[in-house]
Amino acid sequence: MAYLEMRGITKGFQGVLANDKIDFCLEEGEIHALLGENGAGKTTLMNILYGLYQPDGGDIFLRGEKVNIQNPKDAINLGIGMVHQHFMLVSKMTMLQNIVLGLRPYGSPFFNKAKLRQDLEALCERYGLGVELDVPVNRLSVGIQQRGEIIKALYREAKLLVLDEPTAVLTPQEILEFFDIMRALKAKGCSIILISHKLQEILDVADRATVLRDGKAITTVKTKETNEVALSNAMIGRMLQEGSAHRETFAHDQPALSVSGLGLQEKEDLPVFKDISFDLYQGEVLGIAGVDGNGQLELAEALTGIRKHSQGDIVFRGQSISQLSIRKRFELGMAYVPSDRHRDGLIMDADVKSNIALRGYYKAPMSKRGILAANYIEETSERLVQDYHVKTAGIGQQSRLLSGGNQQKVILGREINSDPSVIIAAQPTRGLDIGATEQMRNLLMNFRNQGKSVLLISTDLDELLQMSDRILVMYKGCVAGVLKNDETLDLDTLGLLMGGYTCEVVADEQ
Amino acid sequence: MNNRVWGTVLLTFFVLLVAAALILIVGASPLDAVRIFINGVLGTSNGVAEIMVKATPLIFTGLGVSLSLRTGFFNIGAEGQFYLGAMGAAMVAIYLTALPGPLRILLSMLAALLVGGIWALIPAVMKNRLGISEAVSTIMLNYIAIMIVGIAVRGFLQQPDSALPQSAQVEEAARFPQLWHPTRLHAGFLVALLCVVLVWFILERTSVGFEMRMTGHNQRAAYCLGLPITRSVALCALIGGGLAGLAGCAEILGIQFRLLEGMSSGVGYTAVLIALLAKNRPFNVLVVSLLYAAFQVGANSMQRQLGVPSAIVTIITGLIVLILLGSSVGTKMKESKGLKVKT
Repeated sequence: MAYLEMRGITKGFQGVLANDKIDFCLEEGEIHALLGENGAGKTTLMNILYGLYQPDGGDIFLRGEKVNIQNPKDAINLGIGMVHQHFMLVSKMTMLQNIVLGLRPYGSPFFNKAKLRQDLEALCERYGLGVELDVPVNRLSVGIQQRGEIIKALYREAKLLVLDEPTAVLTPQEILEFFDIMRALKAKGCSIILISHKLQEILDVADRATVLRDGKAITTVKTKETNEVALSNAMIGRMLQEGSAHRETFAHDQPALSVSGLGLQEKEDLPVFKDISFDLYQGEVLGIAGVDGNGQLELAEALTGIRKHSQGDIVFRGQSISQLSIRKRFELGMAYVPSDRHRDGLIMDADVKSNIALRGYYKAPMSKRGILAANYIEETSERLVQDYHVKTAGIGQQSRLLSGGNQQKVILGREINSDPSVIIAAQPTRGLDIGATEQMRNLLMNFRNQGKSVLLISTDLDELLQMSDRILVMYKGCVAGVLKNDETLDLDTLGLLMGGYTCEVVADEQ
Repeated sequence: MNNRVWGTVLLTFFVLLVAAALILIVGASPLDAVRIFINGVLGTSNGVAEIMVKATPLIFTGLGVSLSLRTGFFNIGAEGQFYLGAMGAAMVAIYLTALPGPLRILLSMLAALLVGGIWALIPAVMKNRLGISEAVSTIMLNYIAIMIVGIAVRGFLQQPDSALPQSAQVEEAARFPQLWHPTRLHAGFLVALLCVVLVWFILERTSVGFEMRMTGHNQRAAYCLGLPITRSVALCALIGGGLAGLAGCAEILGIQFRLLEGMSSGVGYTAVLIALLAKNRPFNVLVVSLLYAAFQVGANSMQRQLGVPSAIVTIITGLIVLILLGSSVGTKMKESKGLKVKT
């Protein structure tokens, strides 16, 4: 009998099915990978298992018994533990404090630290997890923090661990150690669900893999009986549309934006990024690749003026813009699609037309002598909503009520409407459905084809390969290398650069 | 929806029950109390006028606080801005005797606007530059402002031939015209109405107001999109403080005709309440202020004619406010819970 069985799980968000009758089955002592692209429904399925969402349909069985999981507390009581991609740790508290946070350990309301430490040390030993218990979490490395999260779950007697993209934040060395930990957990009888979209790591460590695509479970296979190509085809479901979009050729000799020696140091410790130099040419999409958190998003914010860089210079349209305000840079023709559209790109409580007016409200034609030209704003909004196929009840609708794709269309529409010459797009398609993703990419490609420039920051390699003229790889805040995206591009090289190797080392090894 | 209607009916019933019980406790008949309450509010021209008189400072301060709240500046300092505004107005009205009356009124208002605004700007700058919470600093500045007035009416502003802590009287010519003899209704009420329309216009129709609204919704996004958020917050504080100052001016030129200690009777704090209940919308501020003032007027007549302490109405008002705020916070919590699940 399976340890966990999820049958016919269905969950929709605003009419889009994130999970469509998914069947999922986990044996005891198994590492089962859940594989799929962003937005395939992996996280939704696991959030249902953990009680964060209620399914619209379907049942969950644990050891053959039907269970009703209303909230994470229920899930924990049933022995389900989840390690989120973003750790749920209080950074100023020690690991020990974090582990018992929310529990009533021995002698509650007093705190028998000695006994607790004994228990935790025994637990660590049993699973081979080394963790410093008395150091504040923010002084521990990411890998150690992750172990702490696992111990937290184990201490709550989890028998089933859900690991949400655990290796996304780890260095290659840490990843190897992490695999050992997973195997040790498995040997002690834990069942593990591993959410990932990295094929190699699934083949290495998982017993079986279930592939999700567009909210449906496509297939479940034993990893011994499959290979990367088969998994990748199941995951993507189509051949990659390489160069499907029409692409004008440009000489790429006129830089639109030049960055030299750019660095950002915010606190005393490590710089967020340093010594970044590149030219973005007219008629070019320059992709910026790298694992999440290597300084790409901060770079985008420094270019747009949201952060003030501490070294180097930015030259845009023949002048240094390092000292210019956000608005001045925008007026010179720099547009920005932020990665966190809810926080940075839209005012969610305001209506669609206000959001469209946000860039130009202060000057003619959107306002005259300080008075808003309501008619003009409404006409522009109507036009943009139509041109960009924004699905909305009307331009007076609150932006919060729009789906992610439509919110993104509002942002891009607003930015392009101001006739920029450079768009800095950070994760423009993250979390969007396939239709909206395609539309975003087409809009950006059209923009490029008018001889303008796009700086495309993305963690989605397929997107970068489809869109970019060149790809710049960032690693730990530095430029690891710049590659031309044509037939000479070697995917292995790209992967190595993203993993912390430099161009020279890669050349030596080959 | 149905649930909500029933909830409201039930709560109204509950509030009335509490009111009746309280009135019975002090030994009066609840029915008499209600009759006199209503009669006091609507039965006489004086009652109606008194509502507007009492609403006037509430409208000014309510507008001021709600404007600050719109940009996320939690201004509890309307009390202090009121007092200093009153002092500024009094100084101009009493001492610039060389000027003709209307001009002196105008300058008085301007002084109140300026002094109140600057007093509110101080905590705004402190928040922006030093990260000091305005919830604390505005309250502290209230104490300081009240003490300054205390010193003034015992010192440089004290009526020369008097031992009382009060300033000299404002001359007839520099007072707000009376609107409805023999009631106390004065032109300050009209100025308040004008301010309601003006604030609404600024917020909804001008680009500066657009900035304020957007900054208030999401300061981070506003910043990322290049909006001048510092200017926006500062301007809101300045205008908001100025409006609270105008409340002080209206009391000086319309009611008291001299600077006194304790003349605000807490309108600066009531303003926070009014702004919250009005959800920071100018026209709601007007309505809520009038209702609040009507309660006060009714309570006073109850006290005069039946000996029922007006404190009972204060208790009831507090109860209603708690229920209203509780229900709106409740919906907000539900919303945010829904959002948490969405991420």
